Amino acid sequence: MNINRREAVQRVVMLMGGVVSAPAMAGLRGEKLNHGAFVHVTAEQESLLAEVADVIIPTSGTPGAKAAGVEKFIVRVVRDCYPKEDQEHFYAGLAKLEANCQAKTGKSFAQANAVEKKEALTGIMLESDAERTANRGKKAPTPFFFMMKELTTTGYFTSEIGATKALEYLPIPGKFDGCMPLAPGQKTWAL
Amino acid sequence: MNLNIDSIKNQTYDAIIVGSGVSGGYAAKELTEKGLRVLVLDRGRQMEHVTGYTPSYKDPWDFKYNGLLTNEQKATHPKLARDYPYNEMTETYWFNDSDSMYKEEKRFDWFRPNIVGGKSIMWGRQTYRLSDIDFEANLKDGIAVDWPIRYKDIAPWYSYVEKHVGISGEALGLPQLPDSEFLKPMDMYCVEKEVRKRIEKNFPGRNMTIGRVANLSEAKQAQLGIGRSACQYRNKCRLGCPYGAYFSSQSCTLPPAAKTGLMTLRPDSLVSEILYDDQKQKAKGVRVIDTVTKDVREYYAKIIFVCGSTVSTTALLLNSKSRRFPNGFGNDSGELGHNLMDHHFKIGASGVWEGDEDKYYIGRRANGIYIPRYRNIGNDKRDYLRGFGYQGSGSRQGWNRGVGDLNFGIEYKESMTKPGPWMMGLSGFGETLPYHENKMYLDPNTKDKWGLPVVVFDAEFKENEKKMRKDIMEDAREMLESAGLKNVRAFDNGSYPGMAIHEMGTARMGRDPKTSVLNGNNQVHAVKNVFVTDGASMTSASCVNPSLTYMALTARAADFAVKEMKKHNL
Repeated sequence: MNINRREAVQRVVMLMGGVVSAPAMAGLRGEKLNHGAFVHVTAEQESLLAEVADVIIPTSGTPGAKAAGVEKFIVRVVRDCYPKEDQEHFYAGLAKLEANCQAKTGKSFAQANAVEKKEALTGIMLESDAERTANRGKKAPTPFFFMMKELTTTGYFTSEIGATKALEYLPIPGKFDGCMPLAPGQKTWAL
Repeated sequence: MNLNIDSIKNQTYDAIIVGSGVSGGYAAKELTEKGLRVLVLDRGRQMEHVTGYTPSYKDPWDFKYNGLLTNEQKATHPKLARDYPYNEMTETYWFNDSDSMYKEEKRFDWFRPNIVGGKSIMWGRQTYRLSDIDFEANLKDGIAVDWPIRYKDIAPWYSYVEKHVGISGEALGLPQLPDSEFLKPMDMYCVEKEVRKRIEKNFPGRNMTIGRVANLSEAKQAQLGIGRSACQYRNKCRLGCPYGAYFSSQSCTLPPAAKTGLMTLRPDSLVSEILYDDQKQKAKGVRVIDTVTKDVREYYAKIIFVCGSTVSTTALLLNSKSRRFPNGFGNDSGELGHNLMDHHFKIGASGVWEGDEDKYYIGRRANGIYIPRYRNIGNDKRDYLRGFGYQGSGSRQGWNRGVGDLNFGIEYKESMTKPGPWMMGLSGFGETLPYHENKMYLDPNTKDKWGLPVVVFDAEFKENEKKMRKDIMEDAREMLESAGLKNVRAFDNGSYPGMAIHEMGTARMGRDPKTSVLNGNNQVHAVKNVFVTDGASMTSASCVNPSLTYMALTARAADFAVKEMKKHNL
């Protein structure tokens, strides 16, 4: 499942639809169905998602993922759009991150300091990378880190804060120039 | 008795048009402007121009799922959910699967709009003329039947509709892709400009141009006069354009028809049958199910234009049985429902462009580039018939390019707020041959919620298309590599009939009533007061996007029909 790709497909539909990889397209077609069954998410899980999202996209010169309320987007999309199997895999990954952090630091992820958070997430990232390599060519849920990173990134950059503060949002351009100098400090277009 | 006569009078028009999409809307404009009292029937709900385009007013954060479908939508729309046109943003523009039942002997993706204006709201807007290479193809190849018209017959009608519609593009003077009446072409990205130069240098006989598109790169009086304005480059066309900046029935053909005061437009009106008058040997009207009140009514007219979109048009004809036509309306040839075509696509290549890091763009161009057909033209001979064109685009990667990378944090965030590398992709659209055995038919034993027999599809791409696809993929790879793109990756994501939403054929035009349904004026051979001017009438598919041809055929047939009425021939 790859929501950024999906959005990209919608933007250039007939023109570039084919550029999306075959596995991504299979995911987009939603070949696995889930007739309403979903994983119930607790308030603790939701606030943990907010903490992790804020490590992936922190506040810098502009507000981060937590300020943009990205955890709400993540909970909603995972619950309503992903097969139950993927939901379970995702929340198992979140639980593992929390357990690893507890084991290593004796603190919950939320209470860990910035260095400890980064270490815990790096550990999960490397595990997810190994999982991705092992799963290559197989039909399997996206490893936790990559699913979390993708949902955080999409949720953030399509939020009002992300689109208008971190990126440049121009709802009605009124003109098209396809080949102009990149202005100093020019940010990525939100759309 | 008087009451009865009055009500028949109230239900009688000069012309009835079934459907209000690209073809039906055009028929409405032409027939009303020629003074006919016209009834337009559409099974979709009303879709008001400007105010009806609710999703087009939303910002990205107003959508709950960033366009994704929910599990529930996938479960209730198993067929529609197969591909992109049905998504969170456009969900209200398409019929639910339960309201659009159909069966498949072989997979067919059938996308049916549930709105007045039909697919003219969601279409891709690419507009290309057919050429004599297309009109002569069946005759030269000994395939199917000959088109009853040639380019000279339709060329003035292309010009006629183009001046009204507004097509932006660049004149090339190519025999295989005649030029339209153009508004100024849209700009290309730097990468596209350079790739164009290199392809045209490395592959003599191949051309790359900006897409020809029914978007107003500039608005002239013909457009301004009916309340349209120039493209704002929002790239939200598929949600409906409040600026009327691209061709839709709502922006372009229904307003002038309404202005005559001669059009009655009836949404929620499912035409179930065309009524045949045995004595007069003509159609006398149509039977309509009001999908809101469930009432069944009849309407009468001197002429009928069937413009329901290919499959729905032919389903209506097949369902209109009479003593004279036991196998479907006008189906003396037995060809009704046969020769179903669509373009095959989802195949090509893409690569990374190293350079132009200091270049960017402004605006979201709802258009790409086009490489016109070059195969099986002149001295080029392949091991398959016909050819293909490419649509494509340059792009500069944005904030979503790094989701698979092993990083996170401030550096990741900051790098995503800067533009990424440029890319370039090509995606082929290939002609499909008109095979008699590729067909649709009605299943009398399976009825939809209106009691009408459902459509069954039995069509597939065959050897000719498969051989062509090898060329499409390899040529795309070769052109991009020769143009200097790196990491060029060819792809074939598989293509099923219906998915290109260019369904054509099933009531083809031809010279002989024994082998075709329509004559050279889109007139049913055996019933002169019925015209079919949508994709169903196509005798072959060409490889170019077909909608412009439906507009031109419709305007031409409307002109013919009114002249015939004046001569009392209908």
